[in-house]
Amino acid sequence: MENETTERDLRDRLDLIENMIAEGRRKSESWGWAFVLWGLAYYVAFFWGNWGHFAYAWPVTVIAASLLTMLGFWRNGSKGRPNTTLGRAIAAVWWTTGLAMFILYLSLAFSGRLADYHLSVAIAGAMLGAANAACAAMLRWMSQFLCAIVWWSTCVAASFGSASQTTDAFLGAIFLCQIVFGIYAMTLEARRRRQHEALHA
Amino acid sequence: MPEPNLELPELNPIIHGKLRLALLSLLATVEEAEFTWLRGRTGSTDGNLGAQLMKLEEAGYVTVEKKFVQRKPQTLYRLTEQGRTALTEYVQALKQLLGAAIEA
Repeated sequence: MENETTERDLRDRLDLIENMIAEGRRKSESWGWAFVLWGLAYYVAFFWGNWGHFAYAWPVTVIAASLLTMLGFWRNGSKGRPNTTLGRAIAAVWWTTGLAMFILYLSLAFSGRLADYHLSVAIAGAMLGAANAACAAMLRWMSQFLCAIVWWSTCVAASFGSASQTTDAFLGAIFLCQIVFGIYAMTLEARRRRQHEALHA
Repeated sequence: MPEPNLELPELNPIIHGKLRLALLSLLATVEEAEFTWLRGRTGSTDGNLGAQLMKLEEAGYVTVEKKFVQRKPQTLYRLTEQGRTALTEYVQALKQLLGAAIEA
């Protein structure tokens, strides 16, 4: 009997460690909103740019979306959510990709070499595909890897397709990989929060 | 038939307390955590949580940093290397004991 109690107690301790580790890792995956925000920002910039204000539509929208993203993550941080190494690695993938794209497109725009629409979309597709694939590998998340494939397909479509096919591929990728994927991630986050609340009720 | 209990490890009494074990396990997954976050995850009271964290701090397993963010006091806890090693050793000892209990 004593052995049984001891064994149960030891198992309880192991379960506790496992549960707490899962609890700690669950905490900060609250970034689905950022995908939706950037999806909307891409649409705003795209249609605003096509309306005849291309020179400042993209930089203004990207800067505004960056500020809103920083504000959102700062608010999450101030709610006491701690950082993890994985979270910092994923954040690093996104901010370095975003900054690289911003510098690249701004430089090409100012130098007057951003004339090729196909090349612009192909580069964006390749870089966003790489960022999604890197995060998918870190999180072992197939859904995000599918987003990477969609972005890389956009890169190929922009390289070989007509202008209208390039536009369709770009707008379609934004819808699938930013809006739909972002809402899907938000739904998962909300479900996890509900499960956690039910567990601690 | 081997002697099962001859070389069994002892469990670290500082870590063995359920709340202290939960706190170390939580802190092992994050870089640093606020007092309120730890309270929310463990469902413990302020007094008990503070007392257990103090024991862990005295043992050198966690460090504490107090600061003000937006004029609000914030107490942050971090797992030390010593704490991480102790937790790892505790888990190994636990597995060893559990193995021995199953074999017995």
